[in-house]
Amino acid sequence: MRARDLIFIVFSNLRRMKLRLVLTALGVVIGTSAIVLMVSLGIGLQENVTQSLGELGAATHIQVMAGGEPGIGGPERLDDRAIGDISDLDHVQAVLPQVMVQAQDITYKRQSTFASVTGVPMDDLPTFGYALAEGRWPRDDDEIVLGASVPEMFAGGDPFSGGPAGPRLDLIGKRVAVTVMKMPDMEASGKEVMVAEGPESQMEAAETKRRLTVVGVLDKLDMQTDSTAFVTLKAALDLNGVRSSRPVYDTAVVKVDSPDAVAGVEKTLTSRGYLTFSAVSVRKSLQAVFMVIQGVLGALGGIAMIVAALGITNTMTMSIYERTREIGIMKAVGASNRQIKRVFLGEAAVIGVLGGLGGLALSVSGAALANLFVQSLVASQSMSGGAMPQNTTFFVIPASLGLFAIAFAAGVGLLSGLLPAVRASNLDPLIALRHE
Amino acid sequence: MSSTVEVTGLTKSYTMGGEPLLVLRGIDLAMRPGEVVCVMGPSGSGKSTLLNIVGGLDRPTSGAVFVDGVSLDSMDDEQLAVYRRERVGFVFQSFNLIPTMTAQDNVELPLVFAGIDKDTRRHRAAAALDKVGLSQRLDHKPTELSGGEQQRVAIARAIVNSPAIVLADEPTGNLDTATGHEILLLMREMNAEGRTLLITTHDRAVAESVAHRIVHLLDGSVTEIEQGGNL
Repeated sequence: MRARDLIFIVFSNLRRMKLRLVLTALGVVIGTSAIVLMVSLGIGLQENVTQSLGELGAATHIQVMAGGEPGIGGPERLDDRAIGDISDLDHVQAVLPQVMVQAQDITYKRQSTFASVTGVPMDDLPTFGYALAEGRWPRDDDEIVLGASVPEMFAGGDPFSGGPAGPRLDLIGKRVAVTVMKMPDMEASGKEVMVAEGPESQMEAAETKRRLTVVGVLDKLDMQTDSTAFVTLKAALDLNGVRSSRPVYDTAVVKVDSPDAVAGVEKTLTSRGYLTFSAVSVRKSLQAVFMVIQGVLGALGGIAMIVAALGITNTMTMSIYERTREIGIMKAVGASNRQIKRVFLGEAAVIGVLGGLGGLALSVSGAALANLFVQSLVASQSMSGGAMPQNTTFFVIPASLGLFAIAFAAGVGLLSGLLPAVRASNLDPLIALRHE
Repeated sequence: MSSTVEVTGLTKSYTMGGEPLLVLRGIDLAMRPGEVVCVMGPSGSGKSTLLNIVGGLDRPTSGAVFVDGVSLDSMDDEQLAVYRRERVGFVFQSFNLIPTMTAQDNVELPLVFAGIDKDTRRHRAAAALDKVGLSQRLDHKPTELSGGEQQRVAIARAIVNSPAIVLADEPTGNLDTATGHEILLLMREMNAEGRTLLITTHDRAVAESVAHRIVHLLDGSVTEIEQGGNL
């Protein structure tokens, strides 16, 4: 029997059972798409999430915070001595201490923005990948440099929308006002409230305003940086009303010499009681989350595929039962057992392939939808502080995965058709011919 | 296009509800090339079983069938399929056409399994259908054909592979006398081309009109062999 004739016989047989074919293939569609989505999620993670975390410029960066939990015995203060200790660690190239200003807003004339204000040692910024787009670095404590998106934010632009840049204010050389809400020391006032009625004034936030001159605007870096304005450490401490000679920093960014060294340094820092945060650790926790999702999808896909396989076996068994006499006729006119087997295996494989194609189509469109959904979710998360680039795709379906899916579905079809096909080929022709 | 068929000491038994049932009790029969032999006997005499064993659709319990000196018993299932495909043509009482296929496709079927290309198949199936007088009915499905026409399609299918042996099991059993006569004429034509024919029937008139020899079978044994009317 020629291959062309086999294919022709297979398709004309399948054409006779359209509805059953569709229903049976539907099971394969579901199983295939679940499996494809699972694998594509894995690929998407590897390719894109890793890459976009790298885009944060953070592959060699570790963010360090003082260990907030007393009693562990770690350093609770991130001060100059602590910074010095961290700088002395192996693989550490530089440490950038940061002071978050409790800024209410930044105002220019009658326009204001909620951009955050951070104090940093200006000289070290270039080492950590910051670059100027225009102007110069602040030299004085009453100068300020703006993140790339801040001039836009003054004009009401939203740096998180990912849309085209809105109107920008040219602020170089202009004076802006930073308003700081100095909340009363929570611990102190809390105690007093518990003991007795404290003076009203202590419960109210004190508002201080300070005028600073814009001297530069940064290049785009990451979403967090772009929406932040930077002042000197001293200016930031002043704004926060800290007069101490031994200032404590909120966080520090540690730069290590290679991405491979991140995990080791991070481990050392954690063992010393610091809280750390790095692209590597974020990736790890993300991977754990996605592993769960992949596992659920994989189990779902596996179960769906098993059910689909049983469906194919059932359909083929029924169809062979109905065509028993036809099989007898084919044998009488000279069809060999092998040829009969091939016909039915072919039918089962085609059901698998059709299901695989359908499943691939479903998963491609499903992946596109899921990517849109996840992107909008990420965008809304970013508004509340998280930094994640806009066009992250979590589901990636390369051509090889598509081919694999179809081959896999065909394999499942073949395997589920095996038993019925062997039974058909071993039918006694005389009994088959007598079948009504 | 002729073959000798030699049957020696053929027995066949089935187990029916635990009881062994002897269908053939030692048949000996030698057919000359181009001979027409009719097997006559009542239902259950074993004539269909004999035909099926000679056609390689069934295997004997003991004894042997030699076709041109080669024993069917020595063939495995694949070789037996090739034997059915290339040396034998079957005609059944109930026609056994595939209802979803046209006359043309039904006749082509043996050629499909023989791996013959489509153009040759079309040509040879059309020629076979023309020979049985159905050249106007190529694209009709079995349900659109009369009983006589269906049996003629079956005959075309039996001869499309140019087999040396044609086995017909009650070929006129489902047909009226006039239509049955047409079928018998086709049988004679097949024989005139040199084919060896083994036909079962319970109708004496059928046997008389086509057979060179008539073998009478009763309860699995040959009771009488007589000369037929086809001389």
